[in-house]
Amino acid sequence: MIQFENVHFHYNKHAPDILHDVSFTLARGSYHFLTGPSGAGKTSLIKLLFLGKIPQEGKITLFGSDTAAASRKELSEIRRNIGVVFQDFRLLGNLSAFDNVALPLRISGRPREEINNHVNELLDWVGLGDHKQNLPETLSGGQQQRIAIARAVIAQPKLLLADEPTGNLDNEIGFRLMGLFEQLNRTGTTIVIATHNPNIIEQFGHPCLRLVGGTVKQDNTEAHARKKIRHVF
Amino acid sequence: MFSKILHILHIKIIKTHWDSVKFYKLPKPDMSYIRALFNRYSPLKDQNYDLPLNKGSDTNFLVLLISLMSFLAVLALSGSIAINSMTNRWSSGLENKITIEIAVETKEGHILSQETIGQETIALYKMLSENKRVKSANVLNHEDIQELLSPWIGNDMNLEDLPLPGLIAIELHNIDEKGLKELTEEIEKTSQYAQLETHREWLSDLINFANTLQMLALVVTLIIGSITIIAIAYAVRTRLALHHNEVALLHHMGASDNYIARQFRNHAIILSFKGGMIGTSAGIAMTFILTLLSRNSGTDLIPVINIGLWGMALLLLIPVIVCSVAVITSYLTVLRSLAKMP
Repeated sequence: MIQFENVHFHYNKHAPDILHDVSFTLARGSYHFLTGPSGAGKTSLIKLLFLGKIPQEGKITLFGSDTAAASRKELSEIRRNIGVVFQDFRLLGNLSAFDNVALPLRISGRPREEINNHVNELLDWVGLGDHKQNLPETLSGGQQQRIAIARAVIAQPKLLLADEPTGNLDNEIGFRLMGLFEQLNRTGTTIVIATHNPNIIEQFGHPCLRLVGGTVKQDNTEAHARKKIRHVF
Repeated sequence: MFSKILHILHIKIIKTHWDSVKFYKLPKPDMSYIRALFNRYSPLKDQNYDLPLNKGSDTNFLVLLISLMSFLAVLALSGSIAINSMTNRWSSGLENKITIEIAVETKEGHILSQETIGQETIALYKMLSENKRVKSANVLNHEDIQELLSPWIGNDMNLEDLPLPGLIAIELHNIDEKGLKELTEEIEKTSQYAQLETHREWLSDLINFANTLQMLALVVTLIIGSITIIAIAYAVRTRLALHHNEVALLHHMGASDNYIARQFRNHAIILSFKGGMIGTSAGIAMTFILTLLSRNSGTDLIPVINIGLWGMALLLLIPVIVCSVAVITSYLTVLRSLAKMP
């Protein structure tokens, strides 16, 4: 479903590759942690996954489409199937919590009534029903993060990416947030979480994409599943 | 000031006639139908931009710039229209019209007596009245000549003491060059002192000059248009750079280039229409003042500015043209910039 084949990526042609010969495959409905030391290229890999950057070499296939061969319109449609929770939230400061969450639906051209229903429901669900008209700057970091997550999941994306989603949160809220991702994964959403928090990786026990020296080492999913089952029983 | 006076009066009424004063609240008009129509058909229906385009001091700068450009465009255009109507007036006024002069001084340098001039004039008038090429002939008397000369010598001068030429204003039927040549020969045969003035030479010079002025006005309008396009493109690029993160976010969320460009377009419509209306109103007011001044100048040397209904309609099109230019420029600029995003 999501496939990287020999992907090379750098920001500057005079600089060395950030990602070097990266190849991996993510099955539909899978859940992976993207881990590695600081500066290993986690954020760059996330950018490639949501088509924020294009690789200099290699092939990226998302939802069965070769992104290099896709037209601009097709790329927009692919992007609408990807939800991203940015490390710095990237909420639009001029829009209310409601409008920020409604953004992906407006972009998709959904009817106003549907947007109102879905956004109200989701904001109530993430506990921000009383802050719908608040601007992001009037909300706490945790509340902003919940808006960012609500915005990422409102359009029911096929792929959800989160870059260090627990980085700015205390442990309790961080674990609650991971619980939310678990629920989403159960509905069939493929999830990739970039984190360097070993506690979370250990606690939730999902397979990892480990970035080492600019390349990705993927856990063997079957072996990982067997290990997880042994751990549970 | 006015509201302050009203406020004071209001308090006074309440104090003195508190018991007798009744306040009625007017029912609020139902605007929902108009709002629904607007939301359905207006290009500005997405009035709540995702991008913070309303903020920033350059918004006012752009409105001011578009106002100035519209103002100058109105002046250039109204100047062009006025020149056009003036040349039309000259051409139609002098079309098929010639003047015959029995000059006081002959080509040989002899001075003719007023009596001779009178006799020659009457002979010519008789011949012209019977000529089939001539529609009408009119001998100008002293009063007519004084009126013609009044812009230069004023109305107070007594012309009785001056040697005046004999003048006959003639209106011809539509005749060609050959017909005019034959008529000229007949006139020369009737009076050896007659000099024919067809106005064509000096009128063509004047019309050429007017056409040059019109071209100049057109060039000025084009320069104004170019400056407007450059200013709008620059402002849009600045906005794009200023809100790069927000634009990139929308792009990464799957917003099409058109979706993003539409927001800039709607913003451009509002700003350019505002600026266009201000500038055009000021320009039309200025044109109106100039028209009044030209009509009340008291001298025939300053031509009367006449814009006319069609000209006014053309001037009122300027905000629409400015809006269209702003929309196309902003839309294309945004699309070009977005094309650079992966």
